[in-house]
Formats: sequence, C-alpha cells, structure tokens
Amino acid sequence: MPSIKFSYALNSWRPTYDSFVRREQHARALKTISVSGFRSVELSCGAGRWEPLGNREMMETNHGSIDGFVDFLRSCAIDAVSSYFFDPGVFLSSAGVPLAVANPADRAEIVERAREYLIMLPLLGGDRLVVKPAPAYWRSGEPSQPLLRNIAELWNQVGEIAAQQRVKVAMHLDCLCAIRSEAAIDRLLDATNPQSVGLAIDTAELTLAGLDPVAVYDRFAERVNHVQFKDVLLRDDLGEATQSNAELNFLSGGGSREVARWFWELGTPGGLVDFPALLSRLQARGYDGWIVVESDQSPYPATSAMLNGWYVNRVLAPRR
Amino acid sequence: MPNLRWSYMDHWREPSPRGLVTQYASVRSMDRFIKQLVALGFAGIDTFFFSLPQFEAMFGSLPNFENFMRERGMDKIVNVFFAKPNATPGFAFHERSDHDNIVAACERILERCRDISVEGLIVMPTNTYWQMEPVTDDRIGVIADLWNRVGEMTRRHGAKTSIHHEFWCGIRTLEQIERFYELTDPELVYFFCDTAQHVIAHVDPVALYEKYHARCSGFHFKDTHDVDTTEDFRRPPDAELLSPTVERWFWEMGTPEGLVDFPALMRAMKKHEYKGWVALEHDKADIGGSNYAEATAVGKWYADNVLSKIYA
Repeated sequence: MPSIKFSYALNSWRPTYDSFVRREQHARALKTISVSGFRSVELSCGAGRWEPLGNREMMETNHGSIDGFVDFLRSCAIDAVSSYFFDPGVFLSSAGVPLAVANPADRAEIVERAREYLIMLPLLGGDRLVVKPAPAYWRSGEPSQPLLRNIAELWNQVGEIAAQQRVKVAMHLDCLCAIRSEAAIDRLLDATNPQSVGLAIDTAELTLAGLDPVAVYDRFAERVNHVQFKDVLLRDDLGEATQSNAELNFLSGGGSREVARWFWELGTPGGLVDFPALLSRLQARGYDGWIVVESDQSPYPATSAMLNGWYVNRVLAPRR
Repeated sequence: MPNLRWSYMDHWREPSPRGLVTQYASVRSMDRFIKQLVALGFAGIDTFFFSLPQFEAMFGSLPNFENFMRERGMDKIVNVFFAKPNATPGFAFHERSDHDNIVAACERILERCRDISVEGLIVMPTNTYWQMEPVTDDRIGVIADLWNRVGEMTRRHGAKTSIHHEFWCGIRTLEQIERFYELTDPELVYFFCDTAQHVIAHVDPVALYEKYHARCSGFHFKDTHDVDTTEDFRRPPDAELLSPTVERWFWEMGTPEGLVDFPALMRAMKKHEYKGWVALEHDKADIGGSNYAEATAVGKWYADNVLSKIYA
C-alpha cells in the first residue's frame, strides 16, 4: 500500500511579518514539531529580510547555503521541507508589490518567482509547490472563461518548470477563492495539465467555503496531489467570505460574528471535518503524497502541534 | 521494554480567554494537557499532593482520572510530591513534636492513592532554610528520624519515600546531604535527584548520583542558568520565587546556557543500569515570555534526540 507522508505547516508561528525571525525561535518551533511526531515541514514563500525561511537569498545569508539550511533542519530532527506555499499576492515581487495571478502582465514575474522555489524544493527533500491559484471571489466574481484561461496558462507554465524539477504544482483553494464550487473546480482542472498541475484539498478551507472536502476528493481524486488537514467549527453561512475585503473583514476579523479563530486542531470538539473518512478515501485511492497538518490562526502554535500530533498518532495512525 | 520511562512533573499553565489557567480549569483543559504530553511520548505524570483533591473533584475519584489518562495513552500518576516550605503550626520538620502530625499527613496522601498505582512519595525534607537554621548535625538527625518513619509507613503502602533537595531547603550542601543519608535507612529513604536544584547549590548531581545510585529512585531533569552566589538560599521570604538576584532559576533541558551536564548523568545512569522513571521538569517556564507547551516539547526533544543516544 502506498505510504502517506505527514508534514506540518510552520505558518501558525508567523502571525505578523516581522516576528518569528530569529534562528533560535525557528529551532524551538522545529523541535516542537519534530517531537510531536512530524519529521517534515511546509514553509511559506516570502520576500525580504523578515522572511528568513521564505526565500533563497535569506536562507543562504542566514545559513551559508541551502546545504547549511538542510543541516540546520536536521539538527532539529526535521528531515525535509515537503512543500512551499506560494501566494503571489504577498510581497514576492522585485518591486515589493503584490502580483495578480489573473493579470497576464504579472505572469512572467510570477513564473520567475516560482522557479526559485521549484529549483530549491528538491534540494530540501520536497516535491510540492502549493499555489494560491486564483483571486478572491470578491475581486473577480464568478470565474469567467478568460479568467480561467489566464490562470490555467500561468499554472501550466509553472507546471512545465516544475516537471523538470520533479515537483508538482498543487492548486490550493482557500475559503475566499473565486473557485468555490465543484463546477468551477472541474473547469479549472480541465484547463490545466494533469501531468504537472493538480488540486490541493484543504479540509477546513473547503468546509468553511461550504464544500464537503470528502466529496471534493471523491470527485477529483485523480487530480489531487496535495492535502492539508485542519479543522473548522463553522461554515460561512452568512456568505461573508465573498464580500469586499474578505481577507480582512472575514478571515482576519471574523466577520459580523467576530469569530476569534476559524481554524482549529484536529479532533477539536465540534469540528466539522471527518478526518478518518477522508484518510480512508485517500488510502483506498492509493494517494501517496503529503498530508500537511496546519493550525494557522492558532494563538498557541506549540500546543496546536502537540494536539495535532496526538490526533495523528493516536486516532489516524491506527487506521494507516 | 526501555530502561527509562518519561514522566512530566506538573507545573503546567496554558493561556485561555480568561488568562493563564492550569489544566485543572476544566475537563477539556485536562484532556488537552494529557494529549499534549502523550504526543511527546510521556507515559506518566508526577503531581503535587494538593492536586489530588482536584482530580477527585473533576473525575469523581482518582481511579476515574487514571482511566481518563489511559484512554488517551498515558499510564499513570507516578509520584506525588509533598512539601511544606513554611513552618506552619504542626509542620516544623525539625521539631520532633510535629512528627506525628507530619507522618499522619503523609499517610493520608498514601491512603488517598490506595486505588491507583502511585509508586512514590517525593518530599522536600525540611522547611525553608531560613526557617530551619541553624542547620546542625542534631537537627539533621531529627529530620532523618522523621523520614525514616515516613519511609516505613509508605513501604507498608507499597510506595517509596524519596528526598528531593531544594537548593533553599535545610539539607542542601554535600556535607548536609551526606550526613542525612548516613542517618537514614537505605531500605526506607531514597535519594531523588533534581539536577538543577543541586547545581544551584554548588553540588554536582552526577557525583551525587554516583555516590547514591543504589538508593536513587528517580530524577527531575531540569536545567538552570545560574548558581547561587549571594546566599539566596537563606534569604526570606522565598528564595525560589522572590530572589532579587535571579528572576528565573529553572529552565527546560536543551538551552545553550544550561549548566547541568545531562549527557554525563545519562552515562552514569547507563553505567549503573538505572531502570525506571525520569521526570522532565521546568517550573517557572513562562517567566520571560516562554510557555509551558513549547518548553515541554523542547525539553522532551532534547531527551529523545540527544540523551536517548546515550541511554534509553
């Protein structure tokens, strides 16, 4: 039976752009993840001096070389970087301004930025570039055919480079994404190259957006090449994830209900995601990629890593 | 079966919407506490005597709590810690007239634990140094008589009495410790090695373990960045919490400034084929902005990735 590999996302340690920058903070976080039972991590792409884990220049400056960074990971008992999360909308551009995936004028720079990570990932033991593939719904509305064509061309182009590096591109649909129905997912997947570009299932983001992650997996299993596990206690019943400035007003501000925290550890009482069911489906279909456990928005990332470790090792592991 | 099993000495706090709380705040907090420790590989907890009523209040009985732990992958309460740092009426350890009361108090703890599998009573052997001094041979003899009595009592209950030497208690120097163990029965009174407490008191815990390994019942593995150079140990009202010189005495294993030579101690434990529990401890872990969860993880990481290569 193919082996599913678990990894852990470091994003919950990064609530603001200039915190969690010191090497000793990274070491404590990595050791916490390791001793909680995870031997790989997912990192987020980011530019500049305040992203010491987010770009090659800063990793080499801080650790001497990529090999030096790998040695640092291993000194913390972490074996690999499974994946990088790539959001062109954060400050990745040379000009320091967000790049728009739907804007053909930004495409060349997005591809160049992606290339850096696609080259770096195999050196770190990883093989997935997890991308934010489409604009937020409130910016674009229902995805038009030209929009889908634009973004599909972009990710196919990134996918070509990825294939040369034996990396795959996984399109990650978050709760704000313009691609927020099975029909839209189907159209996007149809427009992209199945050899190099696939779908990431993020259990909490899809649930919050009103989709059933198990059903989405069942329908698109052949294209799923990445999975992220986190839980959520609520759905966007009020339709606020599609309203203006939803990144701030909904995701960060909690919407009109002022929800303090959307995303929770696996096994949280009241959690809406059926992780054992999804794991069973993944196994039945022979999924052999990563499951990255996340706890973004956790106020206590060490606690979250330990609780997630308990759930993976005590609840999910016996099923593996 | 490994030679060592890891326990967590309970000083846990966690943030909550109501501020810092202990795991006794709710059953859900306790659930999170146990799961976090199990995730890191702990098989037991050491707790305080004053926590036992809290377990009973939350779960109805100590066996119910033990079942709660086992459902989540943890075995047991390993040890119960007893201390009376202040010489309150009836609890002046160096006064023979208080001994009946102290022995009875210790026996109530063991009786309370009769339906669970506690292995030991760990004790602070005296009140604070400043409330006991002058520390004379005669007074050490009085203290030894007390713990011989308690040791005989706990043996009847199937548990060991072990002595934990706080740097601010009355039996803290090498000479005092040696005198104390000369006067106590090795079949009744055991040595419990708290690494940081000894280092702060200018006593080498490795040498101490080498000397008393045959009567060593367990360990608190914790680190310190400071030794006591200004006689904090005798400064009222409280050397551990209120020292004007050192804000935080105790640290988790694995910090670069740590003074305890844990690898050397593990080599000594291997040489003497120690088999049993080792408790990770890091009281005051949240002073200076750290937190108990991360400190516990980092400490256990050090045990798993550095110390276990020496002995496990």
